[in-house]
Amino acid sequence: MDAIFFLLPIAVLLGAVFAILFVVAVKRGQFDDLDDPPRRILKDD
Amino acid sequence: MAAAIIEGAGLEAYYQEREAYPPRPDGFGADWDAYPVAVGKDGLCEIRLQVDRLRCASCVWVTENVLQRTEGVAEATLSYSTGRARVRWDPEKVKLGEVAGRISTLGYRPRILGEESEPDRDLLIRLGVAAFAAVNIMMLSAALYTGWLGGMDSRYVTLFQWISLALAAPIALWCAEPFFVGAVSGIRHRVLHMDLPIALGVAVLFGHGLVVTVTSGDTYLDSMGMLVTLLLGGRVLESRGRRRASEAATAMAATAPATGRKRVGDGVEVVPSDELEVGDLLDVAAGEELAADGIVDAGHGNLRMALISGESKPVEAQVGSRVVAGSVLVDGFLTVRVSAVGRETVLQQMADQLKLSADRGVRPAVTDRIAPWFTGLTLLVASVTFLGWLFFADLEKALLSAVAVLVVACPCALALARPLAAAAGLGAAARRGLVFRSGDALLEMESVSLVALDKTGTVTAGDLEVVEAENEALRIASGLERFSAHPIARAITRAAVERGIPLPVPEEVQEEAGFGIRGRVDGREWEIRSGGPGKVLVKGGVGSAVGGEGEGEGAGAGARTPETSWTITLGDRVRDDSRAVVGAVLGTGREVILLTGDVQEVAERMAAEAGIDQALARMDPNEKADWIRSRRGDGDRVLFAGDGMNDGPGLAQADVGIAMGTGAASSILVADGVISVPSLKPIMAGFRAAEAAADSIRKNEVRSIGYNIAAVTLAASGLVNPLIAAILMPLSSGMVIWGASRVEKVVAAGDSA
Repeated sequence: MDAIFFLLPIAVLLGAVFAILFVVAVKRGQFDDLDDPPRRILKDD
Repeated sequence: MAAAIIEGAGLEAYYQEREAYPPRPDGFGADWDAYPVAVGKDGLCEIRLQVDRLRCASCVWVTENVLQRTEGVAEATLSYSTGRARVRWDPEKVKLGEVAGRISTLGYRPRILGEESEPDRDLLIRLGVAAFAAVNIMMLSAALYTGWLGGMDSRYVTLFQWISLALAAPIALWCAEPFFVGAVSGIRHRVLHMDLPIALGVAVLFGHGLVVTVTSGDTYLDSMGMLVTLLLGGRVLESRGRRRASEAATAMAATAPATGRKRVGDGVEVVPSDELEVGDLLDVAAGEELAADGIVDAGHGNLRMALISGESKPVEAQVGSRVVAGSVLVDGFLTVRVSAVGRETVLQQMADQLKLSADRGVRPAVTDRIAPWFTGLTLLVASVTFLGWLFFADLEKALLSAVAVLVVACPCALALARPLAAAAGLGAAARRGLVFRSGDALLEMESVSLVALDKTGTVTAGDLEVVEAENEALRIASGLERFSAHPIARAITRAAVERGIPLPVPEEVQEEAGFGIRGRVDGREWEIRSGGPGKVLVKGGVGSAVGGEGEGEGAGAGARTPETSWTITLGDRVRDDSRAVVGAVLGTGREVILLTGDVQEVAERMAAEAGIDQALARMDPNEKADWIRSRRGDGDRVLFAGDGMNDGPGLAQADVGIAMGTGAASSILVADGVISVPSLKPIMAGFRAAEAAADSIRKNEVRSIGYNIAAVTLAASGLVNPLIAAILMPLSSGMVIWGASRVEKVVAAGDSA
């Protein structure tokens, strides 16, 4: 059961990687507009 | 009162201490002092700012007061509903950077109006981080709770607790920062903000967790993580909803066109309207919109100024006439010398003026009114609990129970009730064609007792329609007018088609701007010209001896040989569904009245047609506004719906102003809400959405306060431990989320009715 002493922190760190990816995505504006992009494909210009 | 509180709070000293202003947050590139501002005639500069991050009504008066007390600032007004501020200052005494700096110091973000609104990325990042950490803490807690019930090696308990603490630290120290900022600024201004109990709860939970992790015991860190996550989620929803609603309403306000055709030498060049300068010559062809204000230099034509006046009838323009941006040339051709562009145009100026005259008392939300009592009571109960247990038991029991009281009393559900329901209501109304600028405006609608409707373009379609005409007159006229784009011509042709009259083929048609039209139909000369307001004359047999067809006693001169003359009466038509909507509004027990500038007779006829029993005629725009103000003074809460520039003062004065999306841009800019479809039906949908949202808020407030009373009682009697807190808290928040999610269902249920 001692494996948990390094497995648990590793698991949390792995999770943190995804949290950081989310932060980067937000900063790049991925979540600024959630309504328009899906409709843009229907517009022809 | 505001000033007294500020003085009482000893703010003077605080502001004098602030010599240097902290650097502005990132993403705030504009160098304020370098921003070009014109100095007015009175030596004062003026600017309009958008202030973001206003949270409540008290934020508004604090900001206004702080600005007004700044040396050199002559005037500062701020609107809560739009977040727009107007500041006038003396450039000799104070710089714009300092004005903006003062607003930033209070925790709000000023920006120059017209800049892109900043999406709330910051809140979303905080939410993401908090959610990640909170979910992990919860998993660790679940393990701890099972271990706690079944026995667990203390080494693992220590490990789990330390990891929980590591995860909880960013939540408490960073994610929850907005709540701490709000609470601290509330204390500074002697206002007990909703943020205060939240911040207090987070601080106590984290402090307790920290101490317990180092020593021993059970932590409440999972409750803290969830609390912050849910509250941030509510904030994100609220800010997104508000931004979207406000952008949608602004986008609907059609403004002057983006380009104009400018004379350059002998040629013509298409240039963006903001690059036009005073003195430029613009060419305007029939069907085009004016990009700037100006004076007609050459040409002749009819202009439709619906964007400005809301009136669909065209106005004649000739050399020397003043014309304004946003009007459409119906026929003819004009060359216009530009006299004003951009913000200086009549359209923009009037809209700005109206926006500032909007005078709506902001009523603080119930939640904000409860907050001070709530905090005070919680602190009192916590202290009593502490002292009681200290007296009857020991220090440890006393501390644990007092902490438990503060934990379960944290008003998560209470703080979520309003934003969630308001967001749900906004969405429900918007899907039915009524877009509101803010949730507050929507909630105002619930208390409306009097609905005042404008006639033209609101109760009626606003388009010209043939009201009275003989078939033969219509036949001849439609023949002549069939190729014209003039609104009168279109109405005549439409009426002829509706009556099943075959349109004759005209010959030698001559359209003369400002005069009318002439040509041959059936081998006879005819002319059509204006016959006074709302009337058109069809004269025939000019220079011809053949007569006789016009034997009816038409509304005009009737048959008169050798000349024939008919009158066609044109007017407005009540919208098909106006009657049903008026009936529905009356059915809710609200008063309905028609306000119009038109004559009594027309007003009464239209009112009767729409099922309205009260009509006030011959009201000019200011009389409408005055009337609304006096009814508000009598204790009524007034909703006014209108569509024209002339409705602007009324829209600004009413508790809830609703503009028609097809109406004048200026009216849309001052309104709280905009109807995006050509119908009055969305008003009823708005009432339903407002009622459903307000009802959900009330029920949720009762539920969450009930929960709090029960939970605090349990905690004070020392019966709550972290596991029970972790079960109670999501229950109450879930209840509130469920309540808000019912808003759409309730509104939808009323759709068919």
